[in-house]
Amino acid sequence: MITKTVLIKDTTPGSTSGTKEFFDVFTAALRESKLADEIRLVRAADIGVYNHGIVLKILPDNITYANVQHHDIKRIIGVTLKHGNPIKDLLYQPRAYQLRLVLKNCGRIDPESIDDYIAHDGYRALSAALQAGPDTVIREITASGLRGRGGGGFPTGLKWSMTRSTPGNEKYMICNADEGDPGAYMDRSVLEGDPHAVIEGMLIAGFAIGASQGYFYIRAEYPLAIERVQKAIDQAHAYGLVGERIFGSDFSMDLEIRLGAGAFVCGEETALIASIEGKRGTPSPRPPYPSVKGLWGKPTCINNVETLANVPSIIRNGSAWFSRIGTENSKGTKVFAVTGKVRNSGLIEVPMGTTLRDIVFEIGGGTASGKRFKAVQTGGPSGGVIPEHLLDTPVDYDNLQKLGSIMGSGGMIVMDEDDCMVDIAKFYLKFCVDESCGKCAPCRIGGYQMLNLLENISRGNATLEDLERLRLIAKAMQKASLCGLGQTAANPVLSTLRYFEDEYREHILNRRCPSKKCTALLQFIIDRSRCKKCGLCARSCPEKAITGDKEHGYTIDTARCINCGMCFETCKFGAVERN
Amino acid sequence: MAALTADDLAAIASRIHDQNASWIRVGMSTCGIAAGAERVYAALEDELQRQGAGVQLKKCGCLGMCAAEPLVEVNIAGMPRVIYCRVDEACARDIVRGHVCGGKLLQDYIIDMQSEDAS
Amino acid sequence: MDQAALETARTIIEKWRPKKGNLIMILHDVQDAFGYIPPDIARYLARTLHIPLARIYEVLTFYHYFKLQPPGKYKISVCMGTACYLKGSPSLLQELKNILNVEEGQTTKDGMFYLESVRCLGCCGLSPALAVNETVHGTLTKSDVIDIVSQYAKEA
Ligand SMILES: Cc1cc2nc3c(=O)[nH]c(=O)nc-3n(C[C@H](O)[C@H](O)[C@H](O)COP(=O)(O)O)c2cc1C
Ligand code: FES
Repeated sequence: MITKTVLIKDTTPGSTSGTKEFFDVFTAALRESKLADEIRLVRAADIGVYNHGIVLKILPDNITYANVQHHDIKRIIGVTLKHGNPIKDLLYQPRAYQLRLVLKNCGRIDPESIDDYIAHDGYRALSAALQAGPDTVIREITASGLRGRGGGGFPTGLKWSMTRSTPGNEKYMICNADEGDPGAYMDRSVLEGDPHAVIEGMLIAGFAIGASQGYFYIRAEYPLAIERVQKAIDQAHAYGLVGERIFGSDFSMDLEIRLGAGAFVCGEETALIASIEGKRGTPSPRPPYPSVKGLWGKPTCINNVETLANVPSIIRNGSAWFSRIGTENSKGTKVFAVTGKVRNSGLIEVPMGTTLRDIVFEIGGGTASGKRFKAVQTGGPSGGVIPEHLLDTPVDYDNLQKLGSIMGSGGMIVMDEDDCMVDIAKFYLKFCVDESCGKCAPCRIGGYQMLNLLENISRGNATLEDLERLRLIAKAMQKASLCGLGQTAANPVLSTLRYFEDEYREHILNRRCPSKKCTALLQFIIDRSRCKKCGLCARSCPEKAITGDKEHGYTIDTARCINCGMCFETCKFGAVERN
Repeated sequence: MAALTADDLAAIASRIHDQNASWIRVGMSTCGIAAGAERVYAALEDELQRQGAGVQLKKCGCLGMCAAEPLVEVNIAGMPRVIYCRVDEACARDIVRGHVCGGKLLQDYIIDMQSEDAS
Repeated sequence: MDQAALETARTIIEKWRPKKGNLIMILHDVQDAFGYIPPDIARYLARTLHIPLARIYEVLTFYHYFKLQPPGKYKISVCMGTACYLKGSPSLLQELKNILNVEEGQTTKDGMFYLESVRCLGCCGLSPALAVNETVHGTLTKSDVIDIVSQYAKEA
C-alpha cells in the first residue's frame, strides 16, 4: 500500500543526469529499508524551485526539501517517510510565493460552464452587492485600496464614485480588454480562463455607478477570448444574471462585445470610446474625463480586465482582507506575463511588493539559456528597463515609476546579454511611431525624429550630441503630447540611456555593438577551417554576395554584403563569424 | 429559464461539487491549444473510453505555465493531485493507462509550482 | 456586384442596424465574410447606412486589422511582439519571405499565402510564434517554418 509520494528534481543549472542518478540511489535505499512498496518515487519535470540542487517534495505532507545530498537519504527515510516529521535544516524556505487571487479559477474551472463558476463562489458577490446598495459597494472598493491594473494605477473606488456622482440617468461601463502591450497577455488569459469573474466585476461596477449598459472592448486578435466571453454573456443571460431585473432586483444591465481592430492607441480611454462609437480611434484632450463626458457624451467608467476580475473577491471577502495584501500604496496582487529570455515564460501572480529579483529568479527560474541577465522591461512601450543592480526593488506603482519605468499592465520581459539596449529602444520606439495616431505634432514628429537618431546610432553614424538631442526631444514629447501614448513613448529610450549609456557610447564612439545585434556594425566572414563547403550560406544570401563552389569553399564579398546576417543564421557549422 | 435567485446559487454549487470525485483537466487557452492541447484532449477522451474509466474530463483555462504547455491536471481518488506538462498524445494515453487505471504516476512529466490559492 | 455578396452584406447591416456606433462591427463582419473589405461592399455600406464613403475609408485605413486587398487562402501572421522579437521572430519572417517570395502585406502569386507581421498573438509564453489563419504555432525555430508552410500547402 502506497502511503507517500516523493517528487525528485535536480535543479542545479545545466544538470542533465542528476535527477536520474538521485532517483536510482533513492530507489535502492528504499528497497534496503523495505519501503519500496510504500513509497512512490517520481522524477519531476519541474518542481517550481530553481538553483537549489536536488529538490524533493513529499506528498501528501507537502514538505519540500532543497539542496539534498545523497547522505541525507537515510535521514529522510527514517524521519520523514517513516514518521512524517520534517527535517528542519533541509526544509526549503521559499523567498517568494505566488498568490493567486485573480487567477484562482484560471486552469481550475471550465470557462465555458457558468455552473462551474457558480460552484466556485461565482455570482455570490453580485448578489451581496445588490443587497448592500451602490454606496456600500463603492465604500468597500475604496477601502480595499484597489488601483487600476490597466497601467495608470488610478484608485478604482474613486473612479466609480466620480462616475456615480456625475448627474445623468444614462451611464456606461466599459471593460478595457484591448491589451495592446506586445509581449503581455494577462487579460487574454483571464478572459479565456475565467470570463464570468470579469462579467461579475462588470455588473457590480455597473450597479455601483448606475449604468445599464456595459461594453467589453476586446482586441480582434483574441478570437478565443471573444468566443468565451460571448458564450459567458449568453449563459449569464439565460440565468437572468445579465439583462432585466437581475436576481429579481430593480437593477438591469446588458453587456455587449465590441472589437478592436489592431490599433494600440485604442487602449487609451478616450480613443477607445471613439472606437466604440464607430470612429477612428484618436484620443481627445482630458478633461473632460470619461467619468463626466464619455461614451456618446454620457458619464462612463472604464476599467481594465484585471481590475474588474479583482472586484468579486473583494466584495465577497471584504476590503480588510484585500488591503492586508500588498504594500502601503499598492494593495492586492499583480499578474505579470514574464516572457522573453526567462526560463519559465508564463503568467504569474504575486503580492504587490514582491521584488523583481524574486519574480525573475525565484519564480521565473532565471534566464533560459543560463546567460547573464541584463535587464527586465516592464510597462511595454510606455515603460522602461530595469538593470540587475536594482532588482531588489519591491514591485509597486510608485517604485517602478521612480526607476523610470511603470507598472504598466503587467508585461515583464527578461533580457540577457545577447540583447542590445539600443536595439530594444529602437524596437519600442518604432512601435510607438507606427501606432501614433498622428493627431498631435509632438508625438508624430518627435517620435519619428528620435527613431532616426536611434537608427543612426545603430549604424554607427551618430555623435555624442545626438544623445543630448534624444533627451531634448523626449522631454518635449513628455510635456506636449496629447495622450499617454506620446507622453510615454520616449520612456524606453530614456531608461535605456539612463542605465546603459555606455552601450550607446560604444555604438557611437567605437562603432561596436557589444551584444552583436546591430548588424550594420558587424562584419561577416567565413572561417575556412570550419566551413564544410555545403553552400547553404550562398543560397541564403539575398544579395548574392557569397561566391564560391563546393570544391573551393565560399567567401563573402564585403563590398556587396548588406550585413543582414542570414548566412550567420543559416550556417549549421558555425563557420560564419561576425565581429 | 426563469431568472435565478440568490438561493439557486447554492443549489447549483452543491450539484457540481457532487460530481467532482475523480477528474482530468486539460488547459485549453490559446497557448495550450497552440501547443497541441486539442490533440491531447482527444487522445485522453479516446483512451478513457477504451479503458472504460469513469473519470470526468474537463477543459479549462490557463494555469500560467505557458512554456510547459500542454498541461494536464489529474486528480484520482486516493492519489496525489498532479499536473503533467509537455504532454503529447502518447503521454496522454499513458496517463490514462498508467495513472488513472494503473495507480502509477508518470516519470519525468510532473510539474509543480510554489503557490498559494487565496479564497 | 453579385447577388450573393449583396445579400451577405444586407444581412450584416440588418444585424447591426439597431446598435449605436456599429460601423466597426459591420466592417469586422464583412471582413470575416469576404476576407477583406471589397470596394463594392464599402460603397454599398455607404449608400445603405447613409454615411459618406470617405468616412468609411477614414475608419478602414486607420485600423491595421482591416484589409483592402483579398488575402490568400492562408494568412500567415508572424508575431513581432517584444517576446517574439527577442526570441528571433525577425528571422522567421525573413525565412517566410524567402520561401514564399513575397514581402509583408503581399499574397503569393497562386493566391495561397498572405504574409503579414502582427503585434502580439498573446502567446508570448511560446515565443516565437506565428499564426496561420487562427491557428497559433509556437516555440518555433527557423527550420520549422518550411514544415508549416508545406503542411498547409499539402492540405490545400
Ligand atoms: C497608449 C495607451 C494604451 C493603453 N492601453 C491599455 C490597454 O491595452 N489595456 C488597458 O486596460 N488599459 C490601457 N491603457 C490605460 C487606459 O487608458 C485606462 O487608464 C485604463 O483602461 C483604466 O482602467 P483601470 O483604471 O482599471 O486601470 C492605455 C493607455 C494609453 C495611454
Ligand atoms: S510577443 Fe509574440 S505572442 Fe506575444
